[in-house]
Amino acid sequence: MTSLSNQGSLHRRGPTRTARAPRNTYRFWFALPTIALVAVFFAMPFVANGVLSFLRWTGFSSSIRFNGLENFRSMIALGILGNATKVTILFALITMTTQNVIGLVLAKALQQSNRINSVFRTVFFVPVLMSPLAAGYIWAAVLSPDGPVNQALSWFVPGGVSYAWLGHSWSALIMVGLIDGWKWSGLATLVYIAGLNGIPRPVTEAALLDGAGAWKRFFLVEAPLLAPAFTFNITVTLVGSFSALDVIFSTTKGGPGDATSVLNAAVYNQYGAGFFGQASALSSMIALLVIVTAVPLILYLRKKEIDQ
Amino acid sequence: MKPQSTWVTGASPLWETAKYAALTLFALPWVALPLWVLLVNSWKPDAEAATPSIHLPDTWAVWDNLAIVIEQGQYLTGLKNSLIVVVPVVLAVLLIGSMAAWSYARSKSMSLTVTYFITALSIILPPAVIPTVVLVTKLGLTGSVAGYIFALIGTRVGVIVFLTTGYIKGLPRDYEDAALIDGATRWQTYWMVILPLLRPVLFTAAVMTVINVWNEFFFALYMTKGAANATLPLTLFNFANAGMYGIRWNLVFTHVILTSLPLVFAYVVLQRRIMSGLTEGGVTG
Repeated sequence: MTSLSNQGSLHRRGPTRTARAPRNTYRFWFALPTIALVAVFFAMPFVANGVLSFLRWTGFSSSIRFNGLENFRSMIALGILGNATKVTILFALITMTTQNVIGLVLAKALQQSNRINSVFRTVFFVPVLMSPLAAGYIWAAVLSPDGPVNQALSWFVPGGVSYAWLGHSWSALIMVGLIDGWKWSGLATLVYIAGLNGIPRPVTEAALLDGAGAWKRFFLVEAPLLAPAFTFNITVTLVGSFSALDVIFSTTKGGPGDATSVLNAAVYNQYGAGFFGQASALSSMIALLVIVTAVPLILYLRKKEIDQ
Repeated sequence: MKPQSTWVTGASPLWETAKYAALTLFALPWVALPLWVLLVNSWKPDAEAATPSIHLPDTWAVWDNLAIVIEQGQYLTGLKNSLIVVVPVVLAVLLIGSMAAWSYARSKSMSLTVTYFITALSIILPPAVIPTVVLVTKLGLTGSVAGYIFALIGTRVGVIVFLTTGYIKGLPRDYEDAALIDGATRWQTYWMVILPLLRPVLFTAAVMTVINVWNEFFFALYMTKGAANATLPLTLFNFANAGMYGIRWNLVFTHVILTSLPLVFAYVVLQRRIMSGLTEGGVTG
């Protein structure tokens, strides 16, 4: 088994380099536009945001000065930081789970490239094209108290159903997570299909010859070899949904109460109220969540890839 | 022993039928229902659409709704601004991203490795919107979409660099070496040898970037000032929030359809290439 997996390792090694061109300054010039734009519009703002988190900076006063952890302290005292962080993590977990479960199941079902499968792949990819904003509006209508979902449920439930899916704390949070997951699972499907198709045919065929059933083949042979696709999908879906805002703004606007007020919604509220320092502090919390999630996850999954 | 063809696909006709029946049953509520609700309710007059349902309209109001959305919903302004943003952003990230990727893929220099690492980080780290707004204001780029365009290029080029660098590392050096020996300049080598070789990966990257930028709302919300500069997602958002009596589904849905239409049209035309590009590993690199 081990030798087979090694043979199927998905790592690509570049050809060994021997010859080197003598003058390589052109490489710097070719990379310069990207370096400059990434530095000015990504790296600098990212660092500046960290600094702003520790500044007293509002829309009501022209004085900007250092005030340590005061922004964080006030956001904690008001219950905003804690709630928004909790909501963001739960939202991200729901979204990530939806995308990866649906994506993996659909990928297994649609792995072969043939005409009928490509029709299904195309259909399941349509939500990816929609803006998250549009997805939110559509599902808000579908889930509205007298909307299609409740109309359908009313056929089975005596007395009818008029539950406000987006109007109760827990169901609202679950629903917005599902909507965001709905929007992206077509993409996760394609990444998993690419991963499944990257598994060398002899590996799965050998397992079949050894008498492994479909489940055994999947969990013992395919799943470990899918590690790169897992790494990519889990990291990207989790990290991406930490920054979500669109779906929330087109469905619940953070409500009911603050039940779906993710960090970015709280950032927007503080920013709009003129508390720029506090807004930056909340924004730094997103960055922190991304870092503490992405780094161990990538290391762990990379290690799994290598261990195989 | 069974014939080979059966155990390679590992499926009986009965199992296949059951699978496609299940997929269809799943696709109905998952894709068909929301799209159907979107369509039929966009065809209804106000009163009927107040309660969104799956029924066809009693009175059809397609043209009235279109007229209202185009006029009051700032649709044409939004469309113009979206095109002004998407076209330069996509062309710029493809060009400068692939140029940088060629350097990154072929260089072992420490300083280039560090900048590559920072560029790759820009894919997963969240964009810091407030300092970006300050920066754009300081640079005097407010009042137009210029600042927004630069911010999008700086935060979207990372994906292109990442995908393309991996792709170039898998290409043999012989082509570019031959071009250089034949006396081509570096730029000619890039433009006439490297760029054509990158067509598959750049196509996939372009598709992802177009979808991402066309639907971009977060930066637009902070950075584009006034209705005159709003891109389509922002005009949709402003329009949906403009109603005094809650959301008017018929009009919002008409706007959603018009906003998504250019992308859906492009998708239908290029569907086969997009699907093969994405499933052949373009995303994971």
